[in-house]
Amino acid sequence: MALIERYQKTTDITYWEGRIPMSYIYTVGRAGEKFFREIINGRIFGARCDTCAVTYVPPRTYCERCFARLEDHYVDVGTRGTVHTFTQSYEAYDGTRKESPSIVAVIRIDGTDGGLVHWLGEIDFKDVYFGMPVEAVFKPKKDREGSILDIKYFRPIK
Amino acid sequence: MEIMEKDVAKTATKLKTQQILEGKVLSVKWEPNLKYAWDNGPALGRYLAELKNGRIIAKKCNKCHRIMIPPRMFCELCWRPTDEWVFVKDTGIVNTWVVSYVDWKAGRLDIKGGVRPITPAVIEIDGASKGMGILHLLDEVDPWKIYRGMRVKAVWKPAEERIGAITDIKYFKPIE
Repeated sequence: MALIERYQKTTDITYWEGRIPMSYIYTVGRAGEKFFREIINGRIFGARCDTCAVTYVPPRTYCERCFARLEDHYVDVGTRGTVHTFTQSYEAYDGTRKESPSIVAVIRIDGTDGGLVHWLGEIDFKDVYFGMPVEAVFKPKKDREGSILDIKYFRPIK
Repeated sequence: MEIMEKDVAKTATKLKTQQILEGKVLSVKWEPNLKYAWDNGPALGRYLAELKNGRIIAKKCNKCHRIMIPPRMFCELCWRPTDEWVFVKDTGIVNTWVVSYVDWKAGRLDIKGGVRPITPAVIEIDGASKGMGILHLLDEVDPWKIYRGMRVKAVWKPAEERIGAITDIKYFKPIE
């Protein structure tokens, strides 16, 4: 008998399906607490290192360059920024296809060295450009729960 | 996703479970959808199909004359394709076993509550070459009275419940 036994019909091919059960809980950490608690208030926070003249968004507990503690240096950085990079996505988180594509962008928050990955809204993909000024659109206050999704999307500043 | 008491692992962190449950610290719970499909291939495909028929099939190498279970398409000793399909019996002897207090999901079995420890074993199948066996469960036996070389027989699911899976055999039980 040959090593390769050819299947005559594709229906002869069998496979085993499985699912690996896994779940996790991620606590957002000290700087994350500040960031997400302030998101509930409709504010975006960063952390400022005066020595290095760097503002991190999202905030960090320490400076990545000089290792200084930044926990007393959280700063409100406003809700405006510019489009740093962007793309159009046809897939949801879990890899399933979306009915309509969404625009995903890295938004550099004005006056900082950091940025957020978020959606762009109220704009057509063909009208987006690098450096486009945008602002955060928050959910109504009662719906906010301390999540990055408390920001619905960023929209162009008219 | 809602976070429940059972989800929170006991770790060395200073955080208390209650702080997470009550939302005193912010957290995210997520379950990645880790699905897979594994191609059975011709050897295990036939093996599983025959389990559905209530039979165990092996494969023979005509050079070393070994009858191999589970069947494989290639003889790893002779470095050549295997030759014939051979039906073997659903009886055998216990080669190795273990008394386990955890289930296959690594959860602790409620032994004090009267749950029987599970007893996975390698069973050398009658008709296959010596040392050739499959991993399965033993039951209908006192876990502490299992011994090496104990004769066992497969307990099958009813034909209509068999799907072509190794669990079509429920377990192996001792025979006189």
